[in-house]
Amino acid sequence: MTSSTTTQSVLDQPPLVQGGLDFAGVTQTVIGVVESKETPKIWFALFGVSVILLLMLLGMIGHLIWTGVGVWGNNVPVAWGWPIVNFVFWVGIGHAGTLISAILFLFRQGWRTGINRFAEAMTIFAVICAGLFPGIHIGRVWLAYWLFPIPNQMEMWPQFRSPLLWDVFAVSTYFTVSAMFWYLGLVPDIATIRDRATTPIRKLIYGLLALGWRGSARQWHRYERAYLILAALSTPLVLSVHSVVSFDFAVSQIPGWHTTIFPPYFVAGAIFSGFAMVVTLAVPARALFNMKNLITDRHLESMNKVILATGMMVGYAYSIEFFIAWYSGNALERFTFINRAFGWYAWAYWIMVSCNVLAPQVFWFKKMRTSVPVMMVVAILVNVGMWFERFVIVITSLSRDYLPSSWGYFSPTGVDIAMFVGSFGLFFTLFLLFLRFLPMVAVAEVKNVMDQAHPSHH
Amino acid sequence: MKQPKSYFRGNLEVERSEEFLKLLKREFPEIDPEHLPPVSRRRFVQLLGASASLAAATGCRWEDEKILTFNSQPENRIPGVPQRFATTLEIAGVAAPLLVTSYDGRPIKVDGNPDHPLVNGTADVFAQASILGLYDPDRSQVVVERSGSNSANTTFDAFVAALRQKLTALRQSGGAGLAILTEETSSDSVARLKARIATELPKAMVVAYEPVNDDDEREGSRIAFGKPMRALYDLAADVVVTLDADLLGAHPMMHAHARSFASRRNPDAGSLNRLYAIESNHSTTGAMADHRLALRPSLVAAFVQSLAARLGVPGMAASKALDEQPRAKAFVEAVAKDLLSHKGRGVVAPGRTLPPAVAAHVHRINAFLENASKTVKYVALRDAPGHAAGLRDLVAAMNSGAVRTLLVLGGNPVYTAPADLAFADAMKKVETTVHLGLYADETAAVSTWHVPQAHYLEAWNDARAYDGTPTLAQPLIAPLYGGKTALELLSFVLGDEGVSDFEVLRATFKAQSQSGADALAFESAWRHAVHDGFVKGTSAATEIPALAANLPALPTDATSGAEFPANGQFEITFVPCTKLFDGRFANNGWLQELPDFMTKTTWDNAALIAPGTAKKLGLVNGQMVKLSWKGRELEMAAYLLPGHAHGCVTVALGYGRDHAGVVGGSLEGDVEPVGFNTYALRPSDAMSGGGGLTVDVLRKHYEFAMVQDHHMIDTTGKEGRQERLGALVREADVAEYAANPDIVHEHDHVTPLSLWKTFEYEGLRWGMAIDLSKCTGCNACVMACQSENNLPIVGKEMVRKNREMHWIRIDRYFSAEDIHDDDDVQVVSQPLPCQQCENAPCEQVCPVGATMHSSEGLNDMVYNRCVGTRYCSNNCPYKVRRFNYFNYHEDLKDSANEALKMAFNPEVTVRARGVMEKCTYCVQRIQNTRITAKNQKRPIKDGEIVTACQQTCPAQAITFGDLNDQNSMVSKEHASKRSYSLLSELNSRPRTAYLARIRNPNPELVAKA
Repeated sequence: MTSSTTTQSVLDQPPLVQGGLDFAGVTQTVIGVVESKETPKIWFALFGVSVILLLMLLGMIGHLIWTGVGVWGNNVPVAWGWPIVNFVFWVGIGHAGTLISAILFLFRQGWRTGINRFAEAMTIFAVICAGLFPGIHIGRVWLAYWLFPIPNQMEMWPQFRSPLLWDVFAVSTYFTVSAMFWYLGLVPDIATIRDRATTPIRKLIYGLLALGWRGSARQWHRYERAYLILAALSTPLVLSVHSVVSFDFAVSQIPGWHTTIFPPYFVAGAIFSGFAMVVTLAVPARALFNMKNLITDRHLESMNKVILATGMMVGYAYSIEFFIAWYSGNALERFTFINRAFGWYAWAYWIMVSCNVLAPQVFWFKKMRTSVPVMMVVAILVNVGMWFERFVIVITSLSRDYLPSSWGYFSPTGVDIAMFVGSFGLFFTLFLLFLRFLPMVAVAEVKNVMDQAHPSHH
Repeated sequence: MKQPKSYFRGNLEVERSEEFLKLLKREFPEIDPEHLPPVSRRRFVQLLGASASLAAATGCRWEDEKILTFNSQPENRIPGVPQRFATTLEIAGVAAPLLVTSYDGRPIKVDGNPDHPLVNGTADVFAQASILGLYDPDRSQVVVERSGSNSANTTFDAFVAALRQKLTALRQSGGAGLAILTEETSSDSVARLKARIATELPKAMVVAYEPVNDDDEREGSRIAFGKPMRALYDLAADVVVTLDADLLGAHPMMHAHARSFASRRNPDAGSLNRLYAIESNHSTTGAMADHRLALRPSLVAAFVQSLAARLGVPGMAASKALDEQPRAKAFVEAVAKDLLSHKGRGVVAPGRTLPPAVAAHVHRINAFLENASKTVKYVALRDAPGHAAGLRDLVAAMNSGAVRTLLVLGGNPVYTAPADLAFADAMKKVETTVHLGLYADETAAVSTWHVPQAHYLEAWNDARAYDGTPTLAQPLIAPLYGGKTALELLSFVLGDEGVSDFEVLRATFKAQSQSGADALAFESAWRHAVHDGFVKGTSAATEIPALAANLPALPTDATSGAEFPANGQFEITFVPCTKLFDGRFANNGWLQELPDFMTKTTWDNAALIAPGTAKKLGLVNGQMVKLSWKGRELEMAAYLLPGHAHGCVTVALGYGRDHAGVVGGSLEGDVEPVGFNTYALRPSDAMSGGGGLTVDVLRKHYEFAMVQDHHMIDTTGKEGRQERLGALVREADVAEYAANPDIVHEHDHVTPLSLWKTFEYEGLRWGMAIDLSKCTGCNACVMACQSENNLPIVGKEMVRKNREMHWIRIDRYFSAEDIHDDDDVQVVSQPLPCQQCENAPCEQVCPVGATMHSSEGLNDMVYNRCVGTRYCSNNCPYKVRRFNYFNYHEDLKDSANEALKMAFNPEVTVRARGVMEKCTYCVQRIQNTRITAKNQKRPIKDGEIVTACQQTCPAQAITFGDLNDQNSMVSKEHASKRSYSLLSELNSRPRTAYLARIRNPNPELVAKA
């Protein structure tokens, strides 16, 4: 084990798998959760709450479709309210997964393996939550399919100059590729579950899901090629999806929306919020299912570094927006930003700045970024801050645009709040099911980064 | 004997719950649920069988609807092609000549009579909204007999039979014990019948009462001339001075005033006239004025005195009250100089709320300035006792028991009578009270009989326009609910049972006509008059009345001239509401939701107070106050109106009704009254208001439903608003404009760039121009659009949520909102329909292509295609798009609201839930004209297409036409130096151009300021 200690002293980094786990130990740690007959009581409690919230969401959607979108607080000028804020919020969260899986994979970041499965699952569920809102937010939900280019006898066709349409394609493509990527990675692990299965039902279900994986060298070869191709495909999508989401705002001409900085700013913000969400979920999940040897403090620390970096980018974007508002000499632009900081919604703006810019600064200190309670608090604050960022962008810009006669204050209704809270129900229902029934850590990939996988070290 | 079993139709009926009774009443008004006879088992089975067979036979309860082809086609009637008929709406004794559009026998739109010189095709908001009133399902539909607390629905025949008995007895006693209370009317037929009553039933009391009346005005002219006269003003005069007179707003001659005033507001076509407004309330006229002085009513009187003195009217000395008001003194000086240098070309107009003596002095000023007969003309008025005095006598007679039968023919005196008269109590002392009314209102609730009244669109009538010219009203539709008219009931009283209003009217016409015995000539004259709505060629007989030798002195020296009088010394003024008038339109949703021009509030009235006074009281906008005046108290919400005079409060009448209907408030229907009932403060001896008011600030707040400044605005917002105002609503002084005609464009930043190839318009290219120098903000265009384009009303809660649906709105901005200089506040207004941008931001962001450009440049909205992403609204810099957040026509599913469906314009789609909508430039009118022109194989003529807003604009501030035609009116307006595009820097290239407002300030006053 001399080489191992050498590595550690040179790079000053603890190993990615701790607790002296060997291959079998890793398999047992992860797959054991799926196979265990003992479900933690806390899981049932959380799942119960989530399902109740999910049912509330479904009820609210029913109410919405039955009554009309007026059940929300939207008005004119603020024709987009919380549903769009929630949409951008969830899409943002859905960023970390694919970034971790694809970009960090291409950059050969070994530490991604401990968290990628988990983060990808989070991505997919977050994009489901995100996709829900634009779908139900339109006035005539039953005609939502008109947004897709479906050939029809009336020769009606979408209007391709609209960023909203680009959005439809960007988000659906992102979802499709992320889901494929995630599932592809799952196949070898599902096959492991199948192989270890003791009951016929488990054997059948996981057998079907494993798509006939046998683990032959040829299959591994194909698998790794496919994984690489999907990673290469996903990488631009990570950047494009939130850029396109930002076009919804940047391409339109409302002061506060019409800004060229939006695409990079949105992407940075999305990664920021996505990593914060991974930390928020990973810390309790690893405690609950005893994964501390696989999702180690080193993983968390790396993520906190990303949070700090992207938080700085977001902070830079906030300040450059102000600078440009002043530097452009455009009175309307200047007003919009003064209004953000000192107008009706100044409280929202300052919540955003404190959570997104100030809170992550504690991560400059190693002690802080390795402290679990501190990182939990910061990660949750970042989640809150990033929701408010979208609130500030969507609501404050719309509430005071060009003609002062039309200015209007937006207040959410109970339905707005219930649907936002309910979307967490949908997210956690899916996420908790995932934790219980699928391997939350990519077993095959983790083994790949263990010292034992590299015989040269011995 | 055994009780017959009773059967029931459901739990609701067994319990006879409130809900069931209400339902039944709305569904079957002819059935009185209180008096449903018990049903025997035998009868029940009979009915069961009959119902089953009837149901099988017809399947619906509208079985008596007959749809038959015409036996012979009526002349000039083509199904689906609208017909237009002239008629007249009389409000408070003043006729508005109208032209009503009727589709297959159902009136749908009211416009002004284009042939009548007073209105020139324009109509005010009341007339336009009356179409909704016609179809209002809350209108009373059945005769009600009430005794004590019991009321029963009955028939008109039963009423006739009951009244016939009484009348026979009354006629024998010469009418002793009979009293008739009518609304103020200028109808010659009513006058004729009243004259007959005076001779045939000499002991009967006949009284006319109108809450918004011209008592003080009449009295003023009586003091000045010895007889009641009405002054008519020509606002094309060089100098116009209004004294608490809202000539351009709440005035019966508003149309003519706006038109003549506008004729002098185009700097490119002659010199501008100058308007000074001296007023307590901040009125529409004040908003249009070149100079405005806010003075509380008592100081307006002092102003008149000082002005007369400065002009040199003999025997007048300047009022000491103005000593502490340097600004007012400067005004007196400047106004007097201006008037003296324009002798015979000026107008000084007193308002209706001024004390009679002050008005008399203003008449003298006009005579002194040689304006009388030139710019101020006088017509004689019928001599009649004052409304307050007449009603007071009647109430005294009722209380003494002298009146045993009271007929209330129209009006709602229980609600509108002065508070001190306690009219409801007096009515209860009368044995038989008959109320003829459109609604089962407050008066109906205490009458022994209520008879539904015919709507003016269902009846024949005649009335005189403000200038005294006679007009005729013809019915557009048979009475929907069997309503009767005052003419019919008056005839009935005279023993002419069964005589219709039509016959009465013809008899009056015959008596007046010159045709004598020549039946053919009479018929021709009659038909022409009915067709035209008035007798063409008649004009008011004007005269120059001789001025009384001595006028009573104006003791204004004792008036306090303090800038802020002590609380308790405040003054109150009652004004008619610009939307509900005296309350008669309280159940009209269009009017309730119409924003008041100055306050931008809907569904409410308010105590209007100057911000400076409010600050002294520690009062903020929307806070509740208790007004205590002459021993009466009223709690209402305060609105801080910039530019309102200090130390006084203005309140509008017409709100707080509890028997108006489901829109305006109803105790029975559990609908909260809308607004505050200010009649509760109004005494019969000071119906215009007066001094001695105390304002107590309460610790309660009230949320107005406003269409602008929806919420209280913070400092950041205020600064941002004032900063950009100059670019949005552009204005200049006439001298500046003359020196630099490009002054309007000094700050333009337009770079006409486009990513796409610009579309070449080969044929027509529609455009609009709105002249801000002319627009008075009268709201007529908003109402015209509401009626033409089937706009829904959304209700108070929705307006509070910024979800109003008006396609054209009138933006109103104050030049200064700082409390300290609210005397100097100027107002600018800007009507804002869809700008129909060439480079439309909305079109580019719609993902489904629901809003597209037409080949004639219209920004079309395809409702069928719209899925409701609302992206277009977000991206619209003008925020003119309106979204159907709910199904705003849900109420039409209620069978009781069946009649409401008839108010819709069949040429315009009724929009569904979840769909975006906006102004279309009245595309249906464009298409109709196109079809006509095509059929006649000719091009569309300039001015042939008239949008609804343009048609009704009294100031003719809106122009519409083809921009490709260099000679069209609209092209010329677009080419004007004053023309600018709103937010042109966005390169949206609107097709609606604004013409900058040019003010004509008096250099003398500007220098002092």
